[in-house]
Amino acid sequence: MNRHRLWFLVPLFAGLSLSAAHAQGQKPAPTEGEGAFVYVAPSFIKELDTKFPAQPPVPPSPPRYGGVLQFPTPTIRAFDPTVGYRADFALVWDTLTEWEATWYYPEVQRTPVIRKTLVTSWEMKDPSTWIFKLRQGVKFHNRPPVNGREMVAEDVRYSYELLKDKAQYANRAALVKTIAVVDKYTLRFELRQPDPKFYLNIVDSLSPVVVPREAVEAPGGLAENPIGTGAFMLKEFVPGEGALLVKNPDYYLKDKDGRSLPYVDGVRLYFTKDASTETALFRTRQLDLMRVSTLDLLYALMKTVPDLGLYRVPSLGWGDYGLAFAIDKPPFNDVRVRQALSMAINRDVIAEVINRGDATLYGPFPWVMAGVTKRADYSYANLGPNYQYNPKRARELLAAAGVPNGFDLEIEWAEFQGWTYGEYAQLLARFFSDVGIRVKLKQLETSTWIAKGQGIQPFAQALAVASPIGAGPSFMDWVYLRYHSSMPKTMNREGISDPKLDELLAKWRQDSGDKRPAIQKAIWDHLREQVYRITTIVPPHYRVTQSYVHAGGNPYCWFPGYCNYEAKTAWLTEKAPARKLDKFAQ
Amino acid sequence: MWSYLARRVLQGLLVLWLVSLLTFSLVHILPGDVIVMQLDQAAAPTPEVLARARQELGIDRPLFEQYRTWMGGVLQGDLGRSLTTRRPVMQELLKRVNLTCHLAVLSMAIALLIAVPIGILSAVRQDTATDYVGRFVAVLGLSLPDFWLATVAITFLAIWVGWIPPVGFAPIWVDPERNLSQLLIPAGIIGARLAAVSMRMTRSSLLEVLRQDYIRTARAKGRRERGVVLGHALKNALIPVITVLGQQFSVLLGGTVIVEVIFLQPGVGSLMLDAVQLRDYTVIQGAVLFFAVVIVAVNLLIDMSYAWLDPRIRFH
Repeated sequence: MNRHRLWFLVPLFAGLSLSAAHAQGQKPAPTEGEGAFVYVAPSFIKELDTKFPAQPPVPPSPPRYGGVLQFPTPTIRAFDPTVGYRADFALVWDTLTEWEATWYYPEVQRTPVIRKTLVTSWEMKDPSTWIFKLRQGVKFHNRPPVNGREMVAEDVRYSYELLKDKAQYANRAALVKTIAVVDKYTLRFELRQPDPKFYLNIVDSLSPVVVPREAVEAPGGLAENPIGTGAFMLKEFVPGEGALLVKNPDYYLKDKDGRSLPYVDGVRLYFTKDASTETALFRTRQLDLMRVSTLDLLYALMKTVPDLGLYRVPSLGWGDYGLAFAIDKPPFNDVRVRQALSMAINRDVIAEVINRGDATLYGPFPWVMAGVTKRADYSYANLGPNYQYNPKRARELLAAAGVPNGFDLEIEWAEFQGWTYGEYAQLLARFFSDVGIRVKLKQLETSTWIAKGQGIQPFAQALAVASPIGAGPSFMDWVYLRYHSSMPKTMNREGISDPKLDELLAKWRQDSGDKRPAIQKAIWDHLREQVYRITTIVPPHYRVTQSYVHAGGNPYCWFPGYCNYEAKTAWLTEKAPARKLDKFAQ
Repeated sequence: MWSYLARRVLQGLLVLWLVSLLTFSLVHILPGDVIVMQLDQAAAPTPEVLARARQELGIDRPLFEQYRTWMGGVLQGDLGRSLTTRRPVMQELLKRVNLTCHLAVLSMAIALLIAVPIGILSAVRQDTATDYVGRFVAVLGLSLPDFWLATVAITFLAIWVGWIPPVGFAPIWVDPERNLSQLLIPAGIIGARLAAVSMRMTRSSLLEVLRQDYIRTARAKGRRERGVVLGHALKNALIPVITVLGQQFSVLLGGTVIVEVIFLQPGVGSLMLDAVQLRDYTVIQGAVLFFAVVIVAVNLLIDMSYAWLDPRIRFH
């Protein structure tokens, strides 16, 4: 009945379609400035290179005090270092030292600068015994039950004892056998193994933070009494929403001109989970700075916020695109197969697809640890033939390994926020199929993939995953813990057991420092040859700031959430939106 | 009536027990655990440290023992403590339920405001341009996924208007203006989808009722069409609509996660998402059980409301 009336929709749709087509027809052909992004990428990258050099301009002086700095960070479920771990905790709780960095720049890469926060000096009595002198006059936040009392050696001893068995701090705290209080401001660390460079292993937020016993033992523990010595005090923590931190008026560190730190009155963290939310918040100036995961997103953001500041930090190695093998199983136990798989991959294409070409090649571990300090030298020539695209040689190697017709390979992968593993896994499948390997891709639920990536669970054959990382420029946790056969799979994920490698690592551990660069280079060469893990490329980090923000751009601690020094030294001009230190409304 | 009620309550308790058992089993089948999921990528604890941490939380005990302990607490009204925050699960839930209820009620109100008038118009003007437009709108509402609509909304609002709903939840009794500015757009997005379902239901249900003998009688008695539709037909036609809305409300309590995440509103959906991602077993179990209770209760209430809407319905 009355079905003929449906026909009125036909002209409606036809009209709409014609209008759309007409509108499309009116548009000029895409130009470099507004067309399909793929054509813009090279010129955009060139523009970034010239407009935003890796080392950002030095902020003007004097800084302006005041304002509330707002930035996003992934959800924190508990703001309590005894319960979980987040680098952001370092805003409230200090570690003994922290990286001052400028780590990425050739002139200083060999001598990472350590900022003395809670300690002022250290001395190696012997490679197993270290003496640390504490800064005097450092006070805990002036809140009950601690009430601003002075931080002393006993607090450090207590904190290390408390946190050494916590999974989140265990790999650093485990290096220490005992800590003895020598006097009020002096501590003696006895190590489990001799380490002539131990002081490099206690820097940064993976090392135990210093907490006061009274706060831990008070009802509700640190969650209810979040008291530390840090530059900020936690005013409010709303799970799922954010955290509000206010300036510690008694903070002990000063800037280079002797002014008190931090400059801002407070910091508001938003626990975001979605890139579109973050960009919308940034566009509406509710976020002052944030990380951007891809060049595409950066491009879109720069179109709508043209005056933003960009800090494009070459990654040390965090967030590379790699492939782990079950090297205890055939055919991956044959070095020729691993080399063949590595040679089958065209890394230029990976860089193009993953991040429009804005990425650097990546080897077995961070370049700088192998002595390669200039980014121009991050090249195929310095990686060697196993990293160069050579499908013909790959087929020859497979034939020599007894699998001339290839084999069936299952690659497990998962979606992970900020990464494009789906495309990466598909590219791997394509490259491997070109040399006769039949690939089956298996998508995992993200948490399962994380567990497999952390070595908690085994994977069948191959896992598309980032390389195991370290915190900071520490060879100990980037390389030693990740490759030594004595390490459990939670550290040495693939269970690599190579006597020659073990010997080199032992030599490195025992060396007082002079020969370490040469040993590290020897380890690099050995790993390049063995290809225990395939590594491909690593995109840079992008940190964008509003035009009214001056943030130091410390290359190692490049983001406030990751490194507290950024938040201590960032400041806002008078053009920043006026904000109050209002509590979250809930 | 009372025996019916008692029977339904007993059935509900059985459902709740089965839900608790199923949830407990399923969350423990998931690979990984809360200790692993909280680790930073750079952290590499030894298996011994991991074992100690599991022991500290009691998640290394046999599953039956864990279930018995948890169920013992539940029977005494204690849902346990979160494995990540160490706070009582009930406290965590109640904090989030507040926002989710605001969002659900507002979405439902928006849905009803759109769905019922359009559904009625569509039914009484069947197969006219009004009906076609109404049905087109409904299909559109059903076809646009929440996540897409929410992403588009937040992106274009930010670009075109330079404004997005403010972050941070304020209950309506604390700050009505802020509350509405925060929730109106997310609720509108959820409500649009709900409205589509309810509108179609209202239309088809009303059409069926309008063909009943008693409607013809009412018309024969000379009642005006508006009176017939609103006074006689609508009340009966709303029975299936209320059933659907009741079920939708239950779904909404835990199902607004995408909108919550995109608009940065900390409701129960995002709590559950975090709990699943972090393998916070006690929160997952507690939250699922809590919603199971709500759903069982809502369904019971819906069934009881039938008698009020249609006096011919009797419970046996």
